[in-house]
Amino acid sequence: MKGKIAVLAGGRSPEREVSLLSGHRVRNALLERGWDAVTIDPAESPLLESLSSGHFNGCYIALHGKEGEDGTVQRLLELVGVPYTGTRPFRCQIAFDKALGKEALAAAGVPTPPWAVVEARALRDLSAGHILRHVIDRVGLPVAVKPAQGGSAMGLSFVEREPDLPAAIMGALSFSDACIVERKVLGTEVTAGLLGNPPEALPLVEIVPKSGTYDYGSRYTTGATEYFAPARLESGVTQMSHSVALQAFLALHLKDVGRADIIVDQQGDPWVLEVNVSPGMTEMSLLPMAAQAAGLSLADLCERVLELALA
Amino acid sequence: MTGSSIDPFVDLYARRTSGMTASEVRALFAVASRPEVISLAGGMPFVQALPTEDVLGVVEKVIAERGSLALQYGGGLGQISLREKLAGLMAEEGVSGVDPEQICVTVGGSQALDILGKIFVNAGDEIVVEAPSYVGALSAFSAYEPAYVPIRMDDNGMVVEELETALLRGVRPKFVYTIPNFQNPAGVTLSLSRREKLVSLCREAGVPIVEDNPYGMLRFEGESLPTLKSLDPQNVIYIGSLSKVFAAGIRIGWVNADSGVLQRFLPAKEAADLCTSNLTQLVAEEYLAGDRWRPNLAALVDIYRSRRDACVRALEDTFPADSSWTHPAGGFYVWVTLPDHFDSQRMLAAAVERRVAYVPGTAFYPDGRGRDQLRLAFCFPPDNDVTEGIRRLADLLADESAIYRSLQP
Repeated sequence: MKGKIAVLAGGRSPEREVSLLSGHRVRNALLERGWDAVTIDPAESPLLESLSSGHFNGCYIALHGKEGEDGTVQRLLELVGVPYTGTRPFRCQIAFDKALGKEALAAAGVPTPPWAVVEARALRDLSAGHILRHVIDRVGLPVAVKPAQGGSAMGLSFVEREPDLPAAIMGALSFSDACIVERKVLGTEVTAGLLGNPPEALPLVEIVPKSGTYDYGSRYTTGATEYFAPARLESGVTQMSHSVALQAFLALHLKDVGRADIIVDQQGDPWVLEVNVSPGMTEMSLLPMAAQAAGLSLADLCERVLELALA
Repeated sequence: MTGSSIDPFVDLYARRTSGMTASEVRALFAVASRPEVISLAGGMPFVQALPTEDVLGVVEKVIAERGSLALQYGGGLGQISLREKLAGLMAEEGVSGVDPEQICVTVGGSQALDILGKIFVNAGDEIVVEAPSYVGALSAFSAYEPAYVPIRMDDNGMVVEELETALLRGVRPKFVYTIPNFQNPAGVTLSLSRREKLVSLCREAGVPIVEDNPYGMLRFEGESLPTLKSLDPQNVIYIGSLSKVFAAGIRIGWVNADSGVLQRFLPAKEAADLCTSNLTQLVAEEYLAGDRWRPNLAALVDIYRSRRDACVRALEDTFPADSSWTHPAGGFYVWVTLPDHFDSQRMLAAAVERRVAYVPGTAFYPDGRGRDQLRLAFCFPPDNDVTEGIRRLADLLADESAIYRSLQP
């Protein structure tokens, strides 16, 4: 055996199911490569006890959502000195929170659609009435409304008309204490997997949901979405997309692995929507598809990410 | 150029699978079912209250005395010895003189629903359901692509007058599906006058009634009302279940209907699974033959009553004045209607984050209604947890209201 690895998966976030699927595949991939990989579900067993009793050489973080992607788990692992995959805690915190992450992207000159942040506390405790008018003045319509924290498009909705905005905001706030109201960019949806240190961009994956919306159902119902890897874009556009993805990765100080979600507008300009520090690894997830298009199997991908963490 | 859609068979599936997709709500329930969450969501019978020795005794007896029968295939209708016991149970519910030959044992009541859908419903056929109705029944029927005719409910069950109007309007349903006692999800019970009206209306229209009665023996107070089956033995197809009387895990339900229905039901049942497990049928039979099931059931009813009380009391103490809820005299569920700016489906993630879960009202309608409603199951968590869970929900509602108000123009 090459070493003992804890694959962290499950947890208590709304993405628990997705994470369990990711973790299962990562564990099998590592086993295939001769690692002694064991799954630990922090919701099932106390994390630190499990880690210290197991004498692990490292942790593969396959958790998604709060705790797994917002730096919480990473901080614990720093504290106990177990090497782990991916980005450092403070950087996780910023990248995972779309309100902070978009701020950092914009500051670094990475193109990201105009947005406004609406916080539950402001609405509830400061009675920030009439806020919607200002939001729309700033962002325009139509918009995408999404929770500031969370993934898998949970709590996401698109709004064309102002009267529908309150319900969309309340829906997003159900998942998170703040939400992002972001101008909806029409165009081709692609994602860029990023791997390595320094990072390199994997082939773009183009996403064509049959329903027109890449929501939770389109992501996790097999057959609901068509994927093209590499994406059907002109080479110049592909290059630009890769370049903004790398810029975003660097602007957010991600480490070893990540995924940038991008929309290429009708003029061929790429806009970064968000960057994920712990991309999904399920059968329907995009990073493994991107890796495959680059000739990397799931086992190659997982082992590479792990080795970068242990280096 | 075609892309990859992960599933090479995606274009081959039958149209009836179109609703069978991944959903956010389903994903949230994976978290909601964790032990740290007080779940007022699933209607799980409190089987922990069953004394282990009572169950162990019957299982041992079955294996020791009838092991080779228990481990073998059986007839499609089920073991006659069990069917006799089930006829006896029906007599206790006021349906006397049931011929055990007209009972078919099924894998829970759910299989009966699926098979009735299969033998009655062609795509596009109308069927009448209560609005709201049992989500499992809607899932079972939907595979046969019916045109639903939902009939409103009030505190006295299905508003039969509205069914009458629908029939006059020319609706010709294949059947009327109803849960007259402590309805799932509404918790209400169909009144006697409506029972009488419903059976006469359906008899005249030549529409069979499917009476689903899993909760009838879980009455907390008051007098039992006659089953629809007892009011009109010919025109009512009766579904019973041991899930709440004994245990859900043995998966024993049954259907009692006239020979015409059974002649079609039986081959469909056999095609689905040959027969219900002999092992669990015999276990059920032994359990019903013994003297422990009555005191065990009485103890369960006491537990459920106390939880119902805790639930209703907590709602009265903590829920907003402009919300309302039903007062079930039995069963598992309280049905809550919130002011219409609430959206229970949207709110579920926040509820789970606060470690409490319920089922959003939309699950119980075939047409997207029910956003301002939710179902609370009080059957599983202990009294204190029921109270605490409802307090957490009330806090959430207060926060939601504050946010809602501030978002108004």
